[in-house]
Amino acid sequence: MNVTEALRKQIKRRSFLKAMAAGAAGAYVGTSLSGCRLQYGDDPYNPLPVGLYDEGEWIPSGCAGCTTWCAVTVNVVQGRVTKVQGHPKAKATGGAACVRSNLAIQQLYDPDRIKVPMKRTNPNKGRNEHPGFVPISWDEATSIIAERIIALRNNGEAHKIAVFRGRYTQLNQSIYGRVPQILGSPNNISHSSICAEAEKFGPYYTEGYWNYRDYDLLNSRYVLCWGSDPIHSNRQVSLNNKVWGKVMDRAKVVVVDPKFNSTAAKADEWIPVRPGYDGALATAMAHVILTRGLWSREFVGDFRDGQNLFVTGRTVSETDFVEKETHGLVRWWNLELKDRTPQWAAPLAGVTSAQIIRVATEFAELGPNVTVFMGGGAVMQVRGAYNSMAVHALAGLVGSVDNVGGSIPGTSTAHQNLPDAAPFVDAAARSTLGFPKVDQRGYRDMPSLNQGRSGGGVVTNRVADAILNDDPYQLKLVLAYWCNFNYSCPETDRWDRAMTIPFLVHMVPNYSEMSHYADLLLPATHHMYEQWGYLAQKGNTYNNLWVSRPMIEPFTESRNPETTVMWLIAEKLAARGFPNLLDYFVTVKDPETGRAPRNADEFELYAVKHRLQPIWDPAMYREGDRFDGWEDFLQAGVWNNGPYQFKQRWGGNFATETGRFEFYSETLKKALEGHAGRYATSVDDILNACNYTVRGERSFVPHYEEPFIHGSESEFPLLFIDSKSRLNREGRAANCGWYQELRDIDIGDEKWGDVIKVHPMDAQRFGVRDGDTVRVVSPVGEMQCVLREAKSVRPGTACKTFGQGHWAFGHVAAQDFDRKTPRGGNNNAVMPADYERLSGSTAFYGVFRVRIEAV
Amino acid sequence: MARYGMVIDLQACTGCGACAMACKSENNVRDGHFWCNYTTTLVGDFPDVRYTFMPTFCNHCANAPCIPVCPVEPHKAIFKNKDGLTLMDSDRCIGCQRCQNACPYGVIYFNEDDPHPFWRTENARELTASVGARHMPYYNPNRATTWNGTGVRKRGVVEKCSFCDHRLEVGKRPFCAERCPAQAIHFGNLDDPNSSVSILLSQHPDARRLKEETGAEPQVYYIRSFNRR
Repeated sequence: MNVTEALRKQIKRRSFLKAMAAGAAGAYVGTSLSGCRLQYGDDPYNPLPVGLYDEGEWIPSGCAGCTTWCAVTVNVVQGRVTKVQGHPKAKATGGAACVRSNLAIQQLYDPDRIKVPMKRTNPNKGRNEHPGFVPISWDEATSIIAERIIALRNNGEAHKIAVFRGRYTQLNQSIYGRVPQILGSPNNISHSSICAEAEKFGPYYTEGYWNYRDYDLLNSRYVLCWGSDPIHSNRQVSLNNKVWGKVMDRAKVVVVDPKFNSTAAKADEWIPVRPGYDGALATAMAHVILTRGLWSREFVGDFRDGQNLFVTGRTVSETDFVEKETHGLVRWWNLELKDRTPQWAAPLAGVTSAQIIRVATEFAELGPNVTVFMGGGAVMQVRGAYNSMAVHALAGLVGSVDNVGGSIPGTSTAHQNLPDAAPFVDAAARSTLGFPKVDQRGYRDMPSLNQGRSGGGVVTNRVADAILNDDPYQLKLVLAYWCNFNYSCPETDRWDRAMTIPFLVHMVPNYSEMSHYADLLLPATHHMYEQWGYLAQKGNTYNNLWVSRPMIEPFTESRNPETTVMWLIAEKLAARGFPNLLDYFVTVKDPETGRAPRNADEFELYAVKHRLQPIWDPAMYREGDRFDGWEDFLQAGVWNNGPYQFKQRWGGNFATETGRFEFYSETLKKALEGHAGRYATSVDDILNACNYTVRGERSFVPHYEEPFIHGSESEFPLLFIDSKSRLNREGRAANCGWYQELRDIDIGDEKWGDVIKVHPMDAQRFGVRDGDTVRVVSPVGEMQCVLREAKSVRPGTACKTFGQGHWAFGHVAAQDFDRKTPRGGNNNAVMPADYERLSGSTAFYGVFRVRIEAV
Repeated sequence: MARYGMVIDLQACTGCGACAMACKSENNVRDGHFWCNYTTTLVGDFPDVRYTFMPTFCNHCANAPCIPVCPVEPHKAIFKNKDGLTLMDSDRCIGCQRCQNACPYGVIYFNEDDPHPFWRTENARELTASVGARHMPYYNPNRATTWNGTGVRKRGVVEKCSFCDHRLEVGKRPFCAERCPAQAIHFGNLDDPNSSVSILLSQHPDARRLKEETGAEPQVYYIRSFNRR
């Protein structure tokens, strides 16, 4: 039985159940088009209304289609979702919701959704193996999982249980936090490092802030987008779409990106930096700002006698300069910047020195009310950590950090943790919790210095290697939810081989590449309409939080992996003599009544009420919008905090070692020395292991590193430029018809298609023509798609949008689902798995070369 | 009586396509048809390239070329209503496609087969049935309140943007305007000097319309530029 048949079979079963339960099948009206003819009054051109307009209900919820996490309202008419709009009271989005949120409707009502639990019957796993899924009950499914857990715990192997988390809500504290802790596993593995950890690196090791920034765009006079595409993809996308026309009224917009992206198309200038050379460009701009005396006196300070001694090629005495809010400017100059002239950078970065000088000068002259909007493109590179510091340091030079028109941190969210689980962790669990996490974080060559801690951050894509190499150990039971690492992690074939682990439970709304390797396939609820959940996000100088809720009658047997599935497993564990998880769950009481949950649904409801109690309970009020109680909050559906008060961290309050914005990062120095100390070696040795060229003191300042790129230029002549589709809901939207129909809103892309774009000169060079189906070959794999000649592409590079290439995501996403023929190719199938190792981030940009061959 | 029209602020527009996607959901538009659509251009050579994006709609022309060619008598299948909307009556349409051929803007679509083939596959029909819907699970029944009793258009007729006449009836603006995250689509009565569209047109005397030379008098105006380069 192939997958299509399995999906069909579960539908039959579901339909039967539904008919038995509610007679819903009988409600089917069919697709008869006879309808009713129009009726006319006196005027044959003004037909009388047919029935009444049914406004239905607008129910607050939120969108987790990307990490902008916008608050929305959902139009439920006659029991069905018909529309999605921005939540008008959400201040972080300004009430807007981007194009992608519409796709959530087709995600919900996707005929390819998994509708009932299914069990694999074919023990052989592989892309060309039919899993032989057969429908089973939730009772059987959770019993199977519980038995596996008990067996591993009894065997002292609880650490070989892992939870894989992709997208999530803040109810994940159950499945991702408390569950593995109580079972005895250290392995909660998030997707974060395939998201953007390197983007957090620069801000942390300059200003002590490990997170995405917010931007005061409406007060900015110059917006420098660097490796980011703010109207297209993360972050604050809905807000950015709303305000961009106004931003253009007030600010000059410049975009640094190898690709001609959506924001570049509207910008005053596009700086098409060569992939990987962001560090050269950023240090040269810093050089211009200093030699021209354009730094912020208010933030950075000045020379004692007011005379600018930053002269190209000359060192400066540290005692000649008095810094205010910053640390190490002169050392940065002496160690790195004094020779980083625009003339030096221009040939490396592939742009003119005149453009570098012009942009750096205009940007700094309009400081401090300017924005450096840094994104993943500049930094998720093998040697991208120092790019992250260098780009962010430009904001420091002009004093726009934590300032009007500049970048600001988020503010706190008034929620609380679930009750402490420590009392429920037994001796067996304690014996395995101390094992290292499976993802190789903190290895000598993988410092993953999240917030200064060696091994502090996840290294998602290394889990496949850990499994394949049995290093540090094998996983035996994986509970994976809302993730599809076989598609979303570079060098996907490693995941195809790794997911042959003894037992994979995949909890997702849709069948996918990862599901193809699952032993149990459990239907997950759609976060926007079918479950409780909440998320908070910053934007527009505000922080807002939305809550989602079940708002339609269930039409599948889906359950929420974060909560209700865990409860069902806990019940089965208790029945098998391990009651701890269930005992813990019943401590999550309804804050209004004090009642303990009696079933899975009550647990989910009480969990969300508990976590959000500081928001809705007047007795616990902390900040932001006020509510009279749970129902009052639910009616609003969104909580706002803010606006942000600027300069909170000026005056020595930056969370760095010095309390100041660090151009010479004492914070990074401490972190690197800490990691080196674990291996009794030097920082230089660590940096060597991490594929960095820098040694000595320059290791602690933002500096240029020659990019590390896989594939020789002779064998693979085109540098590959990956970007994300504007319609991607993080790789989960391709089975929506609207996604395919509008894929041409990505510049140069096509409806229902997947193209690689090269300059016509390169097409001619390689003997391929516009419209040809081509094979794209990299050092680690190959894929097929259509070639398009595009003069917007830098000669010597090839641009391709990520989003297509699904071979197991459904009948719309695939060209031929039954034959596993994808629509185009998945960029991750040809992208080598490599890392920015200091942050643990996967490298997606400026990382490899390809060649293109006619098929 | 009104003279409805649109003013599209191209500087505010970010080229995201939300208008076109929202239209699909509001009007139950089948795959391949775009009542709300867009045109793009990409010109120049690296690194001096320029991209433009322009959302497009039925222009609800004051002098609509599609109407006189409609052969249906005595009451045409495509006609003007009292507020200047160019509307379609599927019941009267005979599918001759003359209006489609006469339209200077290519915004009229012909249904060669039954609507929504995707939603008529067995798998999809079961899903639609299981949520008790007509045609498709997210079917918007309000589309049927002014157009015809089905809310989707049958085989053998043409269809196009109606400025969401069913929403206008209840005091709402077209859904593309409502749903545009950039609020780039302004809608209102061009005969009302206090309407947002009239005010914008007075502020932007250089507002332009598509293919003015045809004399069709389109009622969709474009102001400012998608970019400054």
